[in-house]
Amino acid sequence: MSSVEEGRSDFDMAMTTGGGQGAVPKINVTPLIDVLLVLLIIFMVISPLKPSRFEAKVPAEPKDQQDVNVKPNPLTLVVSINRDDRKIALNNDVVGTVDDPSPLTQKLTEIFTQRANNGVFREGTNQVEKTIFIKSPKSVRYGDVVKVIDAAKIAGAEPIGLQIDDLSQ
Amino acid sequence: MGMEIGGASEYNSEINVTPMVDVMLVLLIIFMIVTPLLQQGVSVNLPRDMISPDPDPDIAKDTSVVISIPDNNNFYIGKEQFPLDALGEKIRRLMENKPPDKRIVYIKSGVDVDYGRVVQAIDTIRKQDIDKIGLVADRKKGGQQPQQQ
Repeated sequence: MSSVEEGRSDFDMAMTTGGGQGAVPKINVTPLIDVLLVLLIIFMVISPLKPSRFEAKVPAEPKDQQDVNVKPNPLTLVVSINRDDRKIALNNDVVGTVDDPSPLTQKLTEIFTQRANNGVFREGTNQVEKTIFIKSPKSVRYGDVVKVIDAAKIAGAEPIGLQIDDLSQ
Repeated sequence: MGMEIGGASEYNSEINVTPMVDVMLVLLIIFMIVTPLLQQGVSVNLPRDMISPDPDPDIAKDTSVVISIPDNNNFYIGKEQFPLDALGEKIRRLMENKPPDKRIVYIKSGVDVDYGRVVQAIDTIRKQDIDKIGLVADRKKGGQQPQQQ
């Protein structure tokens, strides 16, 4: 037993002094760890690129009926974007701009909480009416429209409808 | 002491580049493999850093219909370009055998595209009796969790 112990201590000694004589039987794992770490980092960077989307609904194509009897829904919220001054309007009140749509989020959150407290439900269901419509002129950048949709979605708006008929330039 | 030993003439002062080269080669190979896999369809400058879009693994599936609008002049389905009037027919054929809840068309539009062009695409989609659109956007890291109601 003691001789084995002695032998090992001799070996350790050789290691610490840098071992000019005789090869050290040890695998160098550093490159392996390097490669594995790089792999890990690459996958960490790639994995958050999970595709995401906003689900939006489109109203059906307007039929050419003359006397369509549409009952206006008083709960409908229309978010419109002004092309010139980049302001966002909820129904007719200005709430923030395209560059800073957080007032829209706040306002919508407020409205939805109010509705939840007062029990304002979607017709025939027991869900709070959170439908909103997005209306934007055609020459607005798509990126700006998506920003507004994002702001509305943060407040919990669902479903989001895109108005695509009779848009102004 | 250690420093003095290191300075002795028997040590050479060359940097060992072998591990670096190893790592670089591996990086190169990984990117060569990964890039074609990531690029489905044409590359589009998607809206980035959005807080609230819902993750949807279906977007990446081969069977789903994704319309790409990289700029104001082109519409693509997959890698193929379609003029606006041929788009509807193609969508109708692709959507034929889908169950009603899967009838959703994804739109990948660049941020600088005019909303009007996107509306044209949506209008075409709507004519095929599809009322659900998925606007593809990149989620910000650590963004809001999708709300379940």
